[in-house]
Amino acid sequence: MKAGYASRTPASLLGGGNMTQMPMGAVPKKKDEKLKVIGKAKGNPRKLFYEMKRNYSAYLFLLPKLILFTLFVAIPVVWAFVLSFQKYKIFGSEFVGFENYIKVFESDAFRIALKNTLLFTVVTVPFGVISALVLSTLIFELGKLSQSLFRSAFYLPTVTSMVIIAMVWRWMYNYDFGLFNYVLGWFGVGPVNWLGQSNTALWALIIMQCLIPFGVGIIMYLASMGSISQSLYEAARMDGASRFKQWIHITIPLLKPTTLYLVLLSTIGSFQVFTQIIMMTGGGPGSATETLVHLIYKTGFRDFEFGLAGAQSVVLFVIILIFSVIQFRVLRHDE
Amino acid sequence: MKKVWKKSALAALTLGLAATVLAACGDKEEAGNAEEFKGKITIWDGPRWPDADDNKFHWLEEKIKEYEEANDGIEVDLVQVPWAEMGDKLGVAIAGKAWPDIAPVDISGSAVSIDHIEQGVIEALDPYFDKDAKKDFYENALDAYTYDGKLYGIPNSITLHTMLLNLDLFEEAGVEPPKDGKWTYDEFLSAAEKLTFDRDGDGKTDVHGFSTYILPGYYEAWPFFYKNGGSPLNEDLTEFTFDSPEVVKAIQDLADLKLKHKVAPETHGGNDVGGTFQAWANEEQRTVAMQPWATWAIGAAQGKYPTNFMVAEYPSGDKDASTIGGVGGWVMMHQDDVNKKAAVADFMKFISTAEEQYNMAQHYGIFPARVSASEMDPFKDNPEMTRAMEMSDQVVMLPRHPEWRKIDEAIQNELQLVFNGEKTAEQAMADAKKAVDKILE
Amino acid sequence: MKKKPLDRLNKLIIFGLLTVFAVVSLLPLYWVFSTSLQLSSYQSQDMERPVSYVDSNPPKMYPMGIPLYFKHWGEAREAAKAGDTEEEAYHRDMMDHIVSNSFGSFKNLFKKHDVGKWFFNSIYIAVVVTIGILLIDSMAGYVLAKKKFPGRNLIFWIIISTMMIPGQVTLVPLFIMVGNLGLMDTHWALILPDLSMVFGVFLMRQFMYSIPDELLEAARMDGASEWRTFWTVVLPLARPGLAALGIFTFMNVWNSFLWPIIVLNTAELYTLPVGLKTLQDANLASFKLLMSGAAVAAIPMIIVFILFQRYFVKGLTLGGVKE
Repeated sequence: MKAGYASRTPASLLGGGNMTQMPMGAVPKKKDEKLKVIGKAKGNPRKLFYEMKRNYSAYLFLLPKLILFTLFVAIPVVWAFVLSFQKYKIFGSEFVGFENYIKVFESDAFRIALKNTLLFTVVTVPFGVISALVLSTLIFELGKLSQSLFRSAFYLPTVTSMVIIAMVWRWMYNYDFGLFNYVLGWFGVGPVNWLGQSNTALWALIIMQCLIPFGVGIIMYLASMGSISQSLYEAARMDGASRFKQWIHITIPLLKPTTLYLVLLSTIGSFQVFTQIIMMTGGGPGSATETLVHLIYKTGFRDFEFGLAGAQSVVLFVIILIFSVIQFRVLRHDE
Repeated sequence: MKKVWKKSALAALTLGLAATVLAACGDKEEAGNAEEFKGKITIWDGPRWPDADDNKFHWLEEKIKEYEEANDGIEVDLVQVPWAEMGDKLGVAIAGKAWPDIAPVDISGSAVSIDHIEQGVIEALDPYFDKDAKKDFYENALDAYTYDGKLYGIPNSITLHTMLLNLDLFEEAGVEPPKDGKWTYDEFLSAAEKLTFDRDGDGKTDVHGFSTYILPGYYEAWPFFYKNGGSPLNEDLTEFTFDSPEVVKAIQDLADLKLKHKVAPETHGGNDVGGTFQAWANEEQRTVAMQPWATWAIGAAQGKYPTNFMVAEYPSGDKDASTIGGVGGWVMMHQDDVNKKAAVADFMKFISTAEEQYNMAQHYGIFPARVSASEMDPFKDNPEMTRAMEMSDQVVMLPRHPEWRKIDEAIQNELQLVFNGEKTAEQAMADAKKAVDKILE
Repeated sequence: MKKKPLDRLNKLIIFGLLTVFAVVSLLPLYWVFSTSLQLSSYQSQDMERPVSYVDSNPPKMYPMGIPLYFKHWGEAREAAKAGDTEEEAYHRDMMDHIVSNSFGSFKNLFKKHDVGKWFFNSIYIAVVVTIGILLIDSMAGYVLAKKKFPGRNLIFWIIISTMMIPGQVTLVPLFIMVGNLGLMDTHWALILPDLSMVFGVFLMRQFMYSIPDELLEAARMDGASEWRTFWTVVLPLARPGLAALGIFTFMNVWNSFLWPIIVLNTAELYTLPVGLKTLQDANLASFKLLMSGAAVAAIPMIIVFILFQRYFVKGLTLGGVKE
């Protein structure tokens, strides 16, 4: 998880990815029995009412969450879609049909932001997941104490606010006294105006993302590795498989569900990249580091085109959905 | 400051007159009665000058206390908002219909735009300001708050941009500062060249002659672009004109300070406002000899960042030197209750008297918007502010277009690329034209 | 049966490699603390002008106050031995200057800026939301896991399906909603939407499944009310799940940024991350000051992490994939 995404997104809690869990976890264990009860009740209004009355305390327990959920999640979700078909005016909005969506697809700004976000995602997600896999494999070879030591070391940056991380990195990329240009100086290269040039700014943000360890990934890979049965390795060793071969043929395939989960999680996170942008580049120079969420923020809260911002976010949602489905399919299928 | 600004004063006066006449006929019943209002008035303000306890809101707090004591049943609520956030925050508050009653902004489009006026978010103040009340304000200060013949705010201050020169560095490099602060671009360039030097002989430049930054909403660099004439939009705001040859050349000149002449640091034309100021003002740095800033920086360099400096004009090119100015003041946001509206207007007047403007001018690095406040001579012990005030007849205003925020962003984004050497000024302004024309359509 | 252990040399190599990576990944955080304590003005007798180590090139990798303090301390002692009181006093003064300059920005931060208030706001909001979420979500999770009532599955699915929608989608309508409720520029505008996050319901429901039905049945037999059963039987059993949820809620609220910068206007209501952004935006903050602010914001999370580390691991693996 990369800390600092929109906090109130449910997605940000564990990086947003519990989708993989849903098909498994969400289905009640004793499914048939429950369906029967409700099924029966459904057929008979009086019985349904009786069931509801008998269980009134359950509704009371749910009530606080339901009220909050309705006000601050459910209504806004529906509203977001309605809004995307409106032109927002302070005293009374008007419906404009698909105009906002047409604007989204016609605008260069959105296209550039999408391109930047995709590049960011395509580089940082595989890098993050693979490096987490390699690091946790290495950590797993060590003793208990060193394991927890390194686990903490790699997770610590994850609990730090992205605001802070962005502030330091901005400084590390500083042209005059930044660490990066200093190190480059050893090799007689540079100095480079990392965040100030169109051709390096986005890459500077990508490098930064890659160098923030994917703490969640490491912890989850370690946990999953711990649950792989040792007898599998034992058998492979009997057959004379090398350690590397064992890793390729046993560890990686068995970690696949974890990998899928992590890829989904970090893809969603990566599509929502925002904090670094507003803290470090403001989307510039030009629009070299404009990303989708920063664009939505700007459209909504600097230009106050709420309708257009609504349409942009609906499109973002659809893009994330498509990506998730594709990843789910690809990573699931070749089992 | 007898002759304020070149813009046609007569036209403004006529407009003002017409507005007053209209107001006198139409708005009598809308004026309301302030004495019948009991309740809360909310005002936003940013930090101004500190008192002994470093409280930068003490001025307004004291005025509020005074007002509350004199007016029973009225409570004034001060919301402290940092200046850097003021525009964005107010815009957001308006969009969320959570606006204050009074806000310290202008109507030029950074926080509040003509679009807001057209939507009825800003209240016209004509019922409370008759011709006599307006007479004490400079015409162009009023003009900045006038739209469609109506007055949408009380001006309380005038600011402009000046060049600040670090005299210690001038001395170190053996450069004579411009006499009376007036110079041509060539003189400026040759000074910048001499002010760029390697202090300790390690082969790296320690001090640069000049730097500034480029960022939407900031105009420190812009007077340079006007030096050969030209402006971003044509007179009736229908056409983008920053692509004219004289402006393109001016832009390229300023970028070339870094790209060609190497008298500006790599960060010249970047987006780091704070870093740029620190490089000039922070005594631990002082790595740049000349920077353009709005007048608040004069106050900072006389106060928190004590610097041996002087105020100079922007260098002149083919045309006379010019600078970009702004008018600060108070606007009233939409009111449902006419009596409250009257009370709010009354409070706004209370904090905009000549005495208060004189007070603010003395402490806060701005010029009064009232003639009578200037006549009290707030800068008699402050030659730098006096020199800056003398520049007020060079002021040009930014175009007042409802979509200025977006136009500005389109231009500044392209400007950044010029300063990075990624585009020539000509290319960039051609591209800006495409973007701006789309907005102007 | 155990995997065949690696030999010592290999282990050492791996350990070394990981150490290098760990150092790289912790470097930015180290840099925050190092810079916040960096000496920003120092002038010894043989120096022409004072130097700042904050923005020196090459960058100083540790607070220069430390070696310089000891240097003057040593020289002061020598001067004392030699009986040169003037020289000794000079070095003592320099030591004082080094200490006050090194820690100066922290003092500044709390005295001249609102950091103290921001810190309090952040703590207060994070604590209120965490406690609220724990209570509300465990109540909801409990009945969704353990009770059978009409509409249960429907409610659960509706709630869970919104987990897939990125927060940005509801940013604008939520903002309008908060405005209409008159909550703009109040802490309620942060607390209430945070309390509506659905992840906790999901997590608690997962956790509540593992509570044996027999225990609940036994409590009911004893005549305990629903609330009593929940309070005395269910909650204590759910403690590890609550700990994990609590930590993640706290962390998220503490670090949240996008929403607070939108709804908060008044400087004294800001949370730390918002305040830090204002500091960075205001032209007058030095980098040392910024990094001191960052350090103040980072410390509580680091403490929480160190104290509750195992719950972090637990929370992550609980919410994620189980083999």
